[in-house]
Amino acid sequence: MATGSPGTLVRDLQGALGAAHVLHLPEDLIVYEYDATIERALPDVVVFPATTAEVAACVRIALDHDVPVVPRGSGTGLSGGAVPVRGGVLVVLTRMNRILEVDATDRVAVVQPGVINLALQEAAAPLGLTYAPDPSSQRVCTIGGNIANNSGGPHTLAHGSTVNHVLALEVVLPDARVVRLGSRVPDAPGVDLRGLLVGSEGTLGIVTEATLRLVRQQPAVRTLLAIFESVEDASNAVSETIRRGVIPVAMEMLDQEIIRIVEPRIRAGYPMDAGAALLIEVEGVAEGVALDAAVVEAACHAAGAREVRSAEEASERERLWEGRKAAIGAIGAAAPAFYLLDGVVPRTKLPEVMAQVMELSRAAGFRCANVFHAGDGNLHPNIMFDPAEPRATERVLELGEAIMRVCVDAGGAITGEHGVGLEKRSYMEWVFTPADLAAQHAVRDAFGSTDRFNPCKVLPGGHGCASGHMKEISPHLVEGAYV
Amino acid sequence: MTAGPDRPDATAGLAALRRTLPADTERAAHAYAIEDLEPRIAFAPDDRAEVAVLLRTAAEHALTVVPQASRTALALGAPLEAYDVALDLRGLHRTMEYVPDDLTVTVEAGKPLRDLQQELAEHGQYLSVDPPPDDQVSVGGLLATARGGAWRGHLPSARDLVLGIEVAQPSGALVKSGGRVVKNVTGYDLHRLHTGALGAFGVILDATFKVAPLPVATRTLAAAATSISEAASVARRAWDASLSTRAITILAPEPAGHVGLPSAPTVLVELAGSEAAVDRSTRDLAAFASWSDGPAQGWAYLRRLHGDQAGTVLRIGAPPSSIATMLEAARAAGALAWGHLAAGCVIAYADGMEAHAITALRQAAERARGYLQVEAAPVPIRRQVAPGGPGDPALVAALRDQFDPSRILNRGRWPEEGRP
Ligand SMILES: Cc1cc2nc3c(=O)[nH]c(=O)nc-3n(C[C@H](O)[C@H](O)[C@H](O)COP(=O)(O)OP(=O)(O)OC[C@H]3O[C@@H](n4cnc5c(N)ncnc54)[C@H](O)[C@@H]3O)c2cc1C
Repeated sequence: MATGSPGTLVRDLQGALGAAHVLHLPEDLIVYEYDATIERALPDVVVFPATTAEVAACVRIALDHDVPVVPRGSGTGLSGGAVPVRGGVLVVLTRMNRILEVDATDRVAVVQPGVINLALQEAAAPLGLTYAPDPSSQRVCTIGGNIANNSGGPHTLAHGSTVNHVLALEVVLPDARVVRLGSRVPDAPGVDLRGLLVGSEGTLGIVTEATLRLVRQQPAVRTLLAIFESVEDASNAVSETIRRGVIPVAMEMLDQEIIRIVEPRIRAGYPMDAGAALLIEVEGVAEGVALDAAVVEAACHAAGAREVRSAEEASERERLWEGRKAAIGAIGAAAPAFYLLDGVVPRTKLPEVMAQVMELSRAAGFRCANVFHAGDGNLHPNIMFDPAEPRATERVLELGEAIMRVCVDAGGAITGEHGVGLEKRSYMEWVFTPADLAAQHAVRDAFGSTDRFNPCKVLPGGHGCASGHMKEISPHLVEGAYV
Repeated sequence: MTAGPDRPDATAGLAALRRTLPADTERAAHAYAIEDLEPRIAFAPDDRAEVAVLLRTAAEHALTVVPQASRTALALGAPLEAYDVALDLRGLHRTMEYVPDDLTVTVEAGKPLRDLQQELAEHGQYLSVDPPPDDQVSVGGLLATARGGAWRGHLPSARDLVLGIEVAQPSGALVKSGGRVVKNVTGYDLHRLHTGALGAFGVILDATFKVAPLPVATRTLAAAATSISEAASVARRAWDASLSTRAITILAPEPAGHVGLPSAPTVLVELAGSEAAVDRSTRDLAAFASWSDGPAQGWAYLRRLHGDQAGTVLRIGAPPSSIATMLEAARAAGALAWGHLAAGCVIAYADGMEAHAITALRQAAERARGYLQVEAAPVPIRRQVAPGGPGDPALVAALRDQFDPSRILNRGRWPEEGRP
């Protein structure tokens, strides 16, 4: 440490926040050594600021002591983004959990970063509004984490990812300066630093307040469940639907493996003998919804659907969704461990890519359950394994890497919504040239964040960072999360 | 004014450009004048490597470059401070990849939006943007200016639709970000940084967009009101009814007259979707106002006026709750004014407006938690009134130090404190 000892770091932080909001004893720190993935690393100190000024004070103190700063929300991230690989000060934003404003006239919400995604949806609902980004972890994840990861969800297909719903941000920069970016009015003119900050995985600044766009709930919604003999047929139904000019708000795939895991536990009504199912939702004015639903139905049949069910009643729709949402949790109960992957391909490539994913898993000797955002081409293979078996973890990681290769070779990318974090830094070179990566490093340099602000994340290389390959995975599901 | 008396000697730089670029890419410089400046040299390369070489050579010789294509938005930003090289990008006009079933298209920056829309329409698709002044805007210009029209707020804007880009940096590096998939969080979104930056960080060479199915049916309806505030509340009800709307615009009496309607405060609505959805929406609208078929060409008229570089055009950001107030204020300042409710945006058009009047409108907009961007105005006015904030100036400068350290691109468009 350049200046001061760990003792003075803790003392300075305690001076800024009060001793109650600074953890530094080993037994207290251990809870914060991981997120929902993988590699573990202990922070030197964990702080719980309550205001923007306190966040800035923490960043300033870390700067003075020359130690890293790592922001953290609920720790549900799936790429290791909140893991303090090089120690330092872990800034946990969960105390900043107030919804400051929900304005139905301007359709805007102003929130602190620690607000839970679902809490915002619940606050907006009585006004006939909703916050559209709905990651499956929405019962526990924070808006700050969503912004940092540009998180998606089942409804991203029509509504876009988090970035499309963030109007303005208040950010504490790596030099402890506080800035406001964007505007309460959408699409503000000028250099879009807001758009750059969203998805920067806590490497360019700490979000301390967000102004978000709310959308009006649609007058009519219909949920369809289409049953297919195979994932390939279901994938073709996605393209067939879009070819017919309809973009549903959600098109979620469940393969046979996942249906057999979920159905006995949740009783969502998925046929146990289905090869695959698509959960599809359309919304809008009633007449339009009826028409769109008819187009979807016809497209599914054309692609070989054995049956298409339609649910309009809220209770029926919820039951269908319950299975989807509980799917990943159910895998956790069905296997000693699993590795949840996130890749993205052009949706027309889904049939061939899924065939390769299944073939690779079979060849490697692992069961693989798939539940994913088919409409966006966003895959989530879940590789189930027993870490007690020899070399299992290593082999799972190899398989994961091979699957990422398949995505990249199909013209896709290495992450659709979970982020690069620590997990996929070394794959960045598969998609970007050295010049592309140099430009991204230049952004980091411009923000003055290179070595100190959430170090060893997103970009390959970096002072004092490991190669970037995961050594260990311990899929650790957050209590209360449903997926 | 061409070469001013104190314009430094650029002979070596011009010779170097002529050496490095194919002779048949050089154009007559006088055809590229911008306001009172004429470049020393002009090139129209048709290959991205040539763009990179041009930038690197210009940077080496400290020559300033102004990238351009359709020349529809050259009055945006503060007036240029220097202009040595015109970089005409119209030669980059290929469609590189279009997969209708993926709803994605990758096109070069110099392609006019009109040509892109034609190709997409053959497959029943379109890019859901309506920038000023019309579809002659180039794809690169669409992104660099990030301007939109009446659809914004109802449909995703250019900023939301861009999935990835390739740019040429002043260093000569070709740099990609994003990709060709519709959902992607791989690396920093440099494409968002370039969108709306007026070329501050690089020259956009190509872009991949998310496209959408063309609506089967569209219909324009108009309802007159007795006051702007009454029109605003009709517009509000239309918005809250969650109909298949693609535009809800409030017109002050003057622009209503210009589009062939009676000169009264008017709500102009465009419905778009399936026949059934448009019919249902038409019926629902009738529940709270009396509508007549509106002039469909009214939209094109408003776009053209918004994009008129000869006049004074202000884009005033105002949250939906203060649209009517800002519309009144713009009208009181002597402008033709109309407001897009969902986008929270009032467009004010005038033959001319004093700097103090613009500043007063800006203060009013900022009090309403909005902003004001000067989209066109005579040079002297744009020297007095800042064009509109570039975000956090210190961060923007730090980013420019990384990407364009000698400020060869569009020098002056974003005035920087403490820099000549
Ligand atoms: C069961 C389960 C289901 C999931 N489903 C989805 C899904 O459907 N879609 C999806 O996209 N993701 C999903 N995720 C991933 C995860 O929930 C999201 O990435 C979420 O946005 C992370 O939020 P968090 O508060 O837990 O952030 P954390 O995990 O604490 O942090 C994530 C990243 O954000 C940074 N960060 C956190 N707060 C801030 C802040 N205020 N300012 C700056 N940076 C900050 C951290 O440094 C880190 O890089 C799922 C995860 C689980 C465990």
